[in-house]
Amino acid sequence: MKRKFLAFVALAGVLQLSGCASLGVQPWERDLLAKDEMALGAEGVDLGLDDHIYFSKEATSGGRSFAGGGCGCN
Amino acid sequence: MSRIRALAGVISLSAGLLFSTANLAYAAQPAPELVLNLTNQQVKLSDYRGQVVYLDFWASWCKPCQRSFPWMNDMQAKYGEQGFTVIAVNLDSERKLADEFLSKLPAHFPVAFDPEGNSAQTYQLKGMPTSYLIDKTGQLRIAHQGFHVEKQASYEQEIQGLLAE
Amino acid sequence: MQLNNKATVASALAGAACALLGTPAAQAEEGMLKDWQFDTAILYYGETDRVSLAEGVINATKTNDDDSIFNVKLVLDTLTGASANGAVAQPYAQTFSRPSGKDGYVVNAGETPLDDTFRDTRVQVSGSWMQPFADTWRATGAVNVSTEYDYLSLGLSGLLEKDLFMRNTTLSAGLSFQFDSIDPVGGTPDALTSMLVPTYLGDDNDEGEDEFEWDDDYEEGENKTGSESKTTTDLILGVTQVINRRMLMQFNYGLSVVDGYMTDPYKLLSVVDNAGMTQDIIYEGRPDSRTKHSFFWQTKYALDNAVVDVSYRFATDDWDIDSHTIDSRFRFNLGDNDYIQPHLRYYQQSAAEFYRPFLNQADPLPMYASADYRVGEMTAYTLGLKYGHKMENGHEWAVRAEYYQQDPKNAGFDEPGVLADLDLYPSVKAVILQFNYHF
Repeated sequence: MKRKFLAFVALAGVLQLSGCASLGVQPWERDLLAKDEMALGAEGVDLGLDDHIYFSKEATSGGRSFAGGGCGCN
Repeated sequence: MSRIRALAGVISLSAGLLFSTANLAYAAQPAPELVLNLTNQQVKLSDYRGQVVYLDFWASWCKPCQRSFPWMNDMQAKYGEQGFTVIAVNLDSERKLADEFLSKLPAHFPVAFDPEGNSAQTYQLKGMPTSYLIDKTGQLRIAHQGFHVEKQASYEQEIQGLLAE
Repeated sequence: MQLNNKATVASALAGAACALLGTPAAQAEEGMLKDWQFDTAILYYGETDRVSLAEGVINATKTNDDDSIFNVKLVLDTLTGASANGAVAQPYAQTFSRPSGKDGYVVNAGETPLDDTFRDTRVQVSGSWMQPFADTWRATGAVNVSTEYDYLSLGLSGLLEKDLFMRNTTLSAGLSFQFDSIDPVGGTPDALTSMLVPTYLGDDNDEGEDEFEWDDDYEEGENKTGSESKTTTDLILGVTQVINRRMLMQFNYGLSVVDGYMTDPYKLLSVVDNAGMTQDIIYEGRPDSRTKHSFFWQTKYALDNAVVDVSYRFATDDWDIDSHTIDSRFRFNLGDNDYIQPHLRYYQQSAAEFYRPFLNQADPLPMYASADYRVGEMTAYTLGLKYGHKMENGHEWAVRAEYYQQDPKNAGFDEPGVLADLDLYPSVKAVILQFNYHF
C-alpha cells in the first residue's frame, strides 16, 4: 500500500523533471494521438456497459473515472 | 499519517507544475522566411511582401482547424482584392489526409504542404492551429494560438487594421 | 435560407457571407463540422441458468465552437433470472422464503440455492458539461440519476484538468458524491437474524403450483425494517503523459469512502453443524463503512494500422479485498473502414475479511458475515471480439461478442461433513452480445 503510494509520488516527480525534455511531441506531431481510437476513453459506451457488468459481479469497481450510479446487482 | 504526508508531497509537486505556463510574448520582428510548396508551384513567403498575409498552420486531425476554414475562405473573399491573402501551411505527414480534408472543406486560398514540419519548427509553434498576421513590410505582428469562433470579429479587425497601414 | 440543425450558426453565417459575395459556400462539410454525435448500443448479458440482462444506451454529445462539450446519456436496463442466495447446497431439498415474505421456493438436493425472483428495470440519466478556460484548463461538472424498483442513486461530480508542456502532460483532479437509497422488497432484514421459512406442502394442487404453509405466529415483515441508504465520496487524481508520437500513458489514484448500508438485503448464509447439515438460514450483514484505494494505469500505443490499449488496476480496501485487473484491447484496422478488435480481461480478488461460505453452529456469531461469492476469493476472465464498420455516410456500426467466466475459490475454509462432497464454489459463465451504432 505505502509502496504503491511512493511509486505514485516518484512518478509525479519524474514527470515534473522530464516535462519538456525527452517525453512528449511537438504540437504538429499529434496526428496519431488525435485519432478517435487513441483517446483514453475511446469506446466510452462499451466502457460504461462493461463497468456496469463488472460493478455488479465483482467486489471492486471504478479507477478509470467516475462510475455512474445504481445497483442493477445480482 | 505518512500517507497524508505523501499526499501533501504530491500536491506541492503538482502546484509547481500548475502555474508554470510558457506563454509567447510577441514583439514585431521579420517573419522567418519559408519555402512554400503549393499544389503546383514553389514560392517563398517573401514573395508576398506588399500584401497582408494571414499565415495559418493546420492539420487535418486538428478540430479547431476545421472551424477556421470557412472563416478563412470568408476573409479571402472579402479582402483578397485589397492586398490580403491567407496562406495555409498543412503539417499532415500524409498528403492523402490533407487532400481528404480539402475535398470536404475546400480552400479558396493558397495551401502549402510541409509533411516534414520544417516550417513549424522554424516558427516554434506552441499549439495547433497557430496563425500569424504579417504586415505589408514582412513583419510578424500578431500571433494567435488556436482558433476561437467567438474571436472572429477581432481577428477580422486586426486584418482591417494592417490593411489600413 | 434554411438552417439545418446540424450546422453551427457560425458556419451557417459564414456560408451566408460567402453566398452573398458570390463564392461557393462550402457545402461538403458533412461529418467534419457536425456538432452533435450520437452513440447508441444494445447489450445482452446472459449467465448460464442465472440472470440475464438487456441494456440499451443512447449517448449524445455536442461539441460547441469554444470546444466545450455537452453530454447527455440515457441507459435503460432490465434484469431477470436467478441469483445465488448465498446459502450452501445440501444433500436434501431446501426451502426458502421469497424476499417479499409472502411465498417460498424449493431448491433441489445438491444444487446451489438460487433465488429466481429477480426482475428489475433500471433507468439512468446522466449529463455533463466540460468547459475549457484560460487555454490550458478544463472544468467538467456532471450529474447522475438512476432509479430502479428498490433502488435510487443520485450523483454529482466535478473534474478539473490542466494541460502542461504544450499539452504533453495533463493533470486532473476530481471529486464525486453519490447518495444511494435502497428500499428492499419486503423490508430490510436485520443482519444475521434467522430467515423465517415456510413449510413446503408440495405441488399436488390443481394448478401444479408450489404451496407453502407458514407458522401460525408468523407475521409478514418480522425482523425487517424500512429503507436504508449510503453515501459514497470519490476522489481521483490523475496524470496523463504523451510519451511520443505513438504512445500515451495515464496514471490515476482513486480514493473511495463509502458510509452506510452496504449489505445485500437479499443474501443469506447457512449455519451448519459438524456434519455440514444446515441448522439455520440467516440474513447476511456487512460493515457500514468501506475505504478503498485504487491505482489505475493505462497506456495506448498507435501502430500504423493498429492500436494497443492495455490497462492495469490495483485496488485495496479496509474490507481486505485486494484486486488486480488487466484489461487489454487490440484494434486492427482492416483498410480504412473496418476493424477487428480482440478483448482480453483478467480479474482476481481476495476475500473480504467477513466473507464466510457458511457459519459453523459451534462458533460464536461474528459481527459481520456474507456468503456472497462476489466478496469471496475469485478469478475471472473475459475473452471478446469486436468488429466495426464505417459506412459511406460516415455512420459506424459494430458488433461485440464476449465470454465471461467467474471462478470463485475456497479462501481456506474447511468443509465439514456433507459439504465436502458438494460444489460450494460453482463457476459462473456468461455471454455478452452487443450492437453499437454511431451517427
